Amino acid sequence: MQISSEEIIFLIGLTSIIFLIAPCFLILYVLSYNRRKKKHLEEKVWLKTTFENELLKTQMEVQEQTLKTVANDLHDNIGQLLSLITITLSTIDLEENSKIASKITLTDDLTRRSINELKALSRLLHGEELISKGLAAAIEFELEWLKRSERYEISFERNNFKSVVDSGKETMVFRLFQECINNIIQHAKASKIVIILEQDNSSFKLTISDDGIGFNVDEKLNLKMGMGLYNIKRRAAMINGTATITSIPGNGSVIAITVPSNQ
Amino acid sequence: MIFITFNTVSELACFLAGLIFLFKDKDPAWRLLIWYLLFTCIVEVAGIYIRTSLHVSNIPLYNLSVIPECFVTSYFFYSLYKTYHPKIKWLIIWLSIFLIMYFTELILNHFNNFVSITASVMSVVFVLASLYYYYLKLKDEHFERLLFYAPFWWVSGTLFFYFGSTACNLFFDYLIKYPSISYEFSIRYIIFCILDVILYSFWSYAFICRYLQRKSYS
Repeated sequence: MQISSEEIIFLIGLTSIIFLIAPCFLILYVLSYNRRKKKHLEEKVWLKTTFENELLKTQMEVQEQTLKTVANDLHDNIGQLLSLITITLSTIDLEENSKIASKITLTDDLTRRSINELKALSRLLHGEELISKGLAAAIEFELEWLKRSERYEISFERNNFKSVVDSGKETMVFRLFQECINNIIQHAKASKIVIILEQDNSSFKLTISDDGIGFNVDEKLNLKMGMGLYNIKRRAAMINGTATITSIPGNGSVIAITVPSNQ
Repeated sequence: MIFITFNTVSELACFLAGLIFLFKDKDPAWRLLIWYLLFTCIVEVAGIYIRTSLHVSNIPLYNLSVIPECFVTSYFFYSLYKTYHPKIKWLIIWLSIFLIMYFTELILNHFNNFVSITASVMSVVFVLASLYYYYLKLKDEHFERLLFYAPFWWVSGTLFFYFGSTACNLFFDYLIKYPSISYEFSIRYIIFCILDVILYSFWSYAFICRYLQRKSYS
């Protein structure tokens, strides 16, 4: 079958029109992809800002927690020691020579204890410096403080844990640890606390367990109030991690925070 | 009046836009476009003059104009890829292949016919270069407002022109035998008028964007 020249002309015209339409769609595609890229970049900036804000908030909370401990210690411990010194000094009777020496010795002992307490408080006040020494060191120091109350039997295990490169992540995890300990002190009525810090090639895991009264996890998660369990999960997610909370009423609780090391 | 056609008007308008908006541009690749557009206007007018007044074929003139067209467009693409660290050796290889192909075809045609195969290959290469530019832009994490981004519109105009002319290039030999079949102007002429208007409109808009970008930075 012979194709007429008109048909070929028509074919060329049609092909050219199609060849002109194709770039139109291509340009539209590139433009719409570019718009999506813009949206994605805006979201990235928003996430970064949110993370920075959260980190700042966390740092402030760590400081706040330190100040609370300082205030409590000043009131309950150093305050009591100083009161005792005052009382001891006021009871010294210069005419009772036999008792003067023992009272001065007692005052000397109380003063030394006060100085030691103040030194420990001074170390605690450098909270940020504490985190800069590493997560494990910060946890250890915090636990040392808790051990002084002699209310809990505390065990801390470090399995292959070395360090985390990202200091922001360390601050976040340390704050999560502080909050878990706070929850145990305030609500758990526990006598034993076990902390395990472990690390493998891709992630590190902090597990905090107690033998307290336990709680209903779903119920508490639904409350979504304050720095509760919901916030622990949310903050763990912000550093690409997960927080697994397991508890049975009457049988204590376990909180496991797993965070990737290199992301 | 014979000099006033869709092609000459759109080329002249684009040249004037280039002259106004690119005259003080710091990038030599963009400034080179002013000279290229001036050359295109001269070739177009000369082509009409040779065909209508001297009554001889203007094919040698258009054959000659293919060289600057290829060199300028290739160099401009190379300058656009600069952000993505292109290798100069690819530009040299491509231009060498082009020159070999061009002169071979010219000799085989005894300098009488248009170098249609070379022009077709050149079109395909420029279409691929445009698509590669889009690919780089899509891959690039850095965001640009493409609606006001001069290189994007320059590439888009180029893509329209060379992609749209593919059919004409493929059927060039056939079309040249039947310059005007049933219409006042040949289909090739009509298609190239449309393509020229699209190309130079896009380029003019790109020059405006370039000017606005330069003004906003200074």
